[in-house]
Amino acid sequence: MMQLLAQVVSIAVLAPLVQGVMKRLRANLQGRPGPSPLQPYRDLAKLLNKEALLPYGVSPIPLIAPGIVLGVAVTFASVLPIVAPNAMGSIVDIIALAFLLGLGRFALALAALDTRSSFAGMAASREMAFGSLVEPALLLALLGGAVLGRGTHLSFLLDAPFGLAGMLAFAAFFLVLLAETARVPIDNQETHYELTMIHEGLVLEYSGWQLAMLQYAGYIRQLCFLVLAAMLLPGGAEGWRHLPWILGLIGAVTVVETLFAKLRLFEVPQLFGTAFIFAVASIGLRVLGGLA
Amino acid sequence: MLRSAGVVAMCSVAILAAAVAVIGFRSHGSEIPAYTLEGTVPALALRFAVTPLSAPFCALLAILTTAVALWCMRRGSPGEPLLIALFTAAMLLVLVARSAALFFFAWETMSLVSAFLVAAHHERRGVRRATFTYLVVAQTGALCVLVALTLLALAAGDTSFAGIAAHATRLSPGLRDTVFVFALLGFGSKAGLMPLHFWLPRAHPVAPASASAMLSGAMLKVALYGLLVVTLELAAPGPSWWGLALVAIGTISAVGGVLYALVDHDLKRLLAYHSVENVGIIVIGIGVALLARSAGSSALAGLALVAALFHTINHGLFKALLFLGAGTVNDVEGTVDLERLGGLWGELVWTAPFFLIGCVAITGLPPFNGFASEWLTFQSLVGGVSGGGPTVTFVFVAAIAGLALTGGLAAACFVKVFGVVFLGESRRLNARPAVRERFDASTMAVAFLAGLCIVLGVVPTLAVVPLAGVVGKTLGLVVITPQALPVLPATLVLLPLAGALLCVAMAARRRIRFVPTWTCGSPVTVAAQYTATAFSKPLRTIFAFVLLPERQRRYQMGSSRWLPERISYRTESRYVVDEGARHFAAVVLRFARRFRLVQSGSLRMYLAYALAALIVTVALAR
Repeated sequence: MMQLLAQVVSIAVLAPLVQGVMKRLRANLQGRPGPSPLQPYRDLAKLLNKEALLPYGVSPIPLIAPGIVLGVAVTFASVLPIVAPNAMGSIVDIIALAFLLGLGRFALALAALDTRSSFAGMAASREMAFGSLVEPALLLALLGGAVLGRGTHLSFLLDAPFGLAGMLAFAAFFLVLLAETARVPIDNQETHYELTMIHEGLVLEYSGWQLAMLQYAGYIRQLCFLVLAAMLLPGGAEGWRHLPWILGLIGAVTVVETLFAKLRLFEVPQLFGTAFIFAVASIGLRVLGGLA
Repeated sequence: MLRSAGVVAMCSVAILAAAVAVIGFRSHGSEIPAYTLEGTVPALALRFAVTPLSAPFCALLAILTTAVALWCMRRGSPGEPLLIALFTAAMLLVLVARSAALFFFAWETMSLVSAFLVAAHHERRGVRRATFTYLVVAQTGALCVLVALTLLALAAGDTSFAGIAAHATRLSPGLRDTVFVFALLGFGSKAGLMPLHFWLPRAHPVAPASASAMLSGAMLKVALYGLLVVTLELAAPGPSWWGLALVAIGTISAVGGVLYALVDHDLKRLLAYHSVENVGIIVIGIGVALLARSAGSSALAGLALVAALFHTINHGLFKALLFLGAGTVNDVEGTVDLERLGGLWGELVWTAPFFLIGCVAITGLPPFNGFASEWLTFQSLVGGVSGGGPTVTFVFVAAIAGLALTGGLAAACFVKVFGVVFLGESRRLNARPAVRERFDASTMAVAFLAGLCIVLGVVPTLAVVPLAGVVGKTLGLVVITPQALPVLPATLVLLPLAGALLCVAMAARRRIRFVPTWTCGSPVTVAAQYTATAFSKPLRTIFAFVLLPERQRRYQMGSSRWLPERISYRTESRYVVDEGARHFAAVVLRFARRFRLVQSGSLRMYLAYALAALIVTVALAR
């Protein structure tokens, strides 16, 4: 129990740092000095002290949505199989996790529609569209171990054999990660142009401590996705041994963000299609390879 | 007076259904004979009996009838409750029928009474057309059911279900498959499986809300019951391709249903398409169960069937809730067109939160009942992926992906529904004073169903344990449900709930200031609000290869070439299946024209036909 708590707390503490490092790294790669890696902590502290504004006449949904999103992110952090045995992870499996992430998305999209803003509505529409396309790839990329009869828990990710099937699953999940963490080429966290926003558009009407909650939830989710992606790569059964992979992934995402431009909105589904095909191929290889 | 009589009749049927359900759940054997009406012809004996398999369906019927009766006390036309009571009684009769003759009689009664329900507003031409479509599909389906049952009865030499089931193992493979195909056509068309679903989105928008709740919540399930009886009992055990076919058809229905729902902006038609989707999910479960059973893995078969039955009940609950909510919206606003609704959260203060629960439940998100059953369906699919060769793997992976896609698309669709109908600002054309809803019988009905969605979601074992008993008795095995299930939903929502409470506490401590929406400095107008058509645009474009949208833009120019005064935008999807059905109907009509000769219009001629038919029947029967 204490170990589990330590896991959640360390993810919660490190998540803003990871965001700061990625931002700094990206700036440096682009030839800019960039902000300090600690800047996200300062931003969160600043936002927490500011008052929150909401549009006139909204329902209670925009009020509670940030809390739901944050709760989903913390639950996500608690089910990762970093410490073993993980009491939360033995209850919440991969499928339940996918549904859980859907809950956060649902709450935020409803909140966005309630604000009456066309930008928020547009972002909600795109987020739900892409979210539904990502889900099959997300599930199939993670279910590689499950189809071999190992069960659907996240801890079984650790001892799934790697090989070609593992590589394909990782490739699929990497694309999912880019989408779920609102990264170029799918989305752009640093955009200031409302018409191209997806995730930033969803939270456009939020401010103050509510925005802080949403941003913090985003950082935690991002780190969780990075950890999960690292677990798809070969490594020991102990979660912390994946640390080098996590650092490598931070670098990889930043390099992708620097080298690629944001895709046109309606070319993004092709990327998800690719991820989906990778994931299906990986499952096919695992099952049929196991049969032969 | 008429209304009260109808409500009382509905409640009596509900009590009867509940009693049958209790007997079914508590039974140990496979069939408890209740009553047999022997006719002069033994083949036409009417056998009533209670089986464990019919118990969940009876329980669902009892719950839904109670809820709809409550709703009818306050809303809908006075004549409806009586007709619905009759309809429910007919469905109950199907569930307790244990001989081919009685089953078919009950089935036909159910179809015909429901046709009257669909035709409630028959003064409108569109309603009459929809009813006609429904009748044609229902009667064709009934014919297929009749063929399947007759083939079985002839082979067994007995019309009682017990007799047919006893003979089931000795059926020849060809006959078994023929029976399956006819049963699938008959029951599948009634259940709304693609591609025989096209009557559903026509019948629902024109039927009154209470009737829609019963049609979608209960009748589709009775059709699935029929499919289960044939595949698990009367023609069992089937070859593995039955299961595979059902998984494939279920996946197609699930994805197709939700895609068409996404682009539809008539609230009731949209809900009808979601019925197609959810029936698809149930049928996936049934398919996995059949496949696992034919492969000999009984644990998987039990789990899959529990998932299917659980989702059957869950879909009945939240779909009835959503249809009744849509009925309330229709009563208040006079329309269910999503483009004309909005901001009802402030007016329908009771219905709106319950409708939200229905929306989250049907999307399959925790902690509501839809999550538990969809999770179980996923578990059974994952469990079966590697269980039987490349074809099975291919179909199952497609089903997992399809189900995941369906979940995501359903979420998108219900964000649209709830966000557009209840949140934001109203889009109505004529302003009217706001009315605040009071808590009455109709809101109690929705509250009751929403409460069940929560209870069965948070404590899924309440339903899963009795269902596991039913499945165990039906298939003759012990069902092992996943260990995590009892605590899973609560674990998932513990922290999100805490987060929501934290927000409420924060807002209480540090007031939230309310300001106008940011619109880049221009005045805030309702026209800037995102509409349902706009919301579904990305998915409409991405899935254009299925939906085949056609759009029309018209500019009305004013004084300047560059600033049009008015732009109108229309978009419509082409429905491939419906077009196919129309072509088929045209072919049938052309063929039927050749038989016009016999339709002389003379009464004497028709009497002669009847007499001739009688003589032939008697001659054949001797």
